[in-house]
Amino acid sequence: MSQGTPLNEAQALDWLRQQEDLGQRYYAAWWLGRMRSSHGDTVPLLIQSLSERGSGLAPTSGIDEPNPVARNAARALGKLADPQAIAPLLEALESSDDGLREAAARSLGQLGAPQARGPILRRLASGPGVAGAPRPGTSRLMEPCEAFLEALGALGWEEEDGSTTDHKPLLATLGAYVNHERPLIRSAAYRSLLQLTQEDCWGDQLVALLHHDELQVRRAALLDLGVTGWRPAAPAIAQTLAENSLKLIALRGLVEHSPLRNQASWSPSPEEVELLAAMDNLL
Amino acid sequence: MPSRSHDVEQVQVQVLIDAVQAAQTADDLTEAVEDLCACAHPMAIPCLIQVLGFNNPGAAVAAVDGLVAIGSPAVPAILSNVDDYNYGARAWSVRALAGIGDLRGLPLLERALAQDIGPSVRRAAARGMGGLQPHGFTVLQRQELAERILPQLKASCQDEEWIVRYATAVGLEGMKRWWQPSAAQQEQLVEALQPLADPHGEPVPVVWLRARLAITRLRASTPAACP
Repeated sequence: MSQGTPLNEAQALDWLRQQEDLGQRYYAAWWLGRMRSSHGDTVPLLIQSLSERGSGLAPTSGIDEPNPVARNAARALGKLADPQAIAPLLEALESSDDGLREAAARSLGQLGAPQARGPILRRLASGPGVAGAPRPGTSRLMEPCEAFLEALGALGWEEEDGSTTDHKPLLATLGAYVNHERPLIRSAAYRSLLQLTQEDCWGDQLVALLHHDELQVRRAALLDLGVTGWRPAAPAIAQTLAENSLKLIALRGLVEHSPLRNQASWSPSPEEVELLAAMDNLL
Repeated sequence: MPSRSHDVEQVQVQVLIDAVQAAQTADDLTEAVEDLCACAHPMAIPCLIQVLGFNNPGAAVAAVDGLVAIGSPAVPAILSNVDDYNYGARAWSVRALAGIGDLRGLPLLERALAQDIGPSVRRAAARGMGGLQPHGFTVLQRQELAERILPQLKASCQDEEWIVRYATAVGLEGMKRWWQPSAAQQEQLVEALQPLADPHGEPVPVVWLRARLAITRLRASTPAACP
């Protein structure tokens, strides 16, 4: 069992091509995504790896997830912005492995693949009581709801042909999860509803989670607010009891992802100057 | 009777220190630290430094503010208690030194910016270089200090972490306050900021915006007269 990560792109591709050492394949898939490899062999090799099943890794490897190579390949494909990956990721979305479905959904959201909306909505349709019910014996849910809900927000309203998707089923499905018992699922639902509707009420709900007792929930709400770019959250973000590093990431998101951001302007707007001042205070 | 009131004060600070030691929850700890900081008493220094290592962000923020309020008397203790094994704690120490601006902390800031593995440590150091307070320095000494710091901040414009590059823009802008450069010298700061303000070299939009804000501010204010 090899240790460590590949040294360069050529080695990473060799590691992914060989079949004997699954640890090497696992790290190679991760590396190629992380380094945004643009080599012509990268995407086809990762797509091949998506269908790899089974663990096969030594217990000492420290990797204890099932189908680790396929999951890492799915994660990497989300970072590489190649539309060739969409069809195989849609297939992975139907896998019996919920961790692989989770990775595929996130990557399809990152790739902006509207074809994923339908399958995700179908898997969430049974609602928090079924799709969102705890999976017996684990800390997971029956479906990877958090990733699914977040992907729906990332995909926006647009259909593959450029038309606008029907608002009703999308909002109804997301709305079904806003009262889920787990705050991380609620946070994901608020985040996507805020991205899609720009309605302040969802931002207010995320801000309320910044005061949650559990640090893990406050962290998730910070990152979710950053993704939405909802600027009214800035003072609450600055005051949240969490690491400054995460608050800085959230405030960066408010600057960069807000619909108010004027791409044409060279210098920051007065509102952005205030956000930058809040960031300066956290350094 | 000054000695008596001194005793009373010591007892009061000790009560506040005991409250920090006795705190059972994260919220209690933060509140106790805030109370202790309010007295800005040098006796609180060891206790506040200890809090930096508790992995409690709320309490650590309060402790840093408390150490900054105490100022220079806290510097030797901070320097001799830097935690080599906990970069969270180290970031808070560097933040406290950065906030105080005492030059005795500069070698630590320099080492942190150039070598520390924690981005949160490097970012605090970059910002701290803009917040130095060279009290009593002559124009020449300030110039020498600027010549020492500027290459280090130029180097950290290349840091792989966006937040360190962001903090570098803040540090470069801050240098003006203690350097008091001439118009020509000030252009060196603008020049150092240019790569961060340019989308061709810098991938992160919030870094461009911060660097551009720094350039705008540097150019808007009148530089010092010829030294």
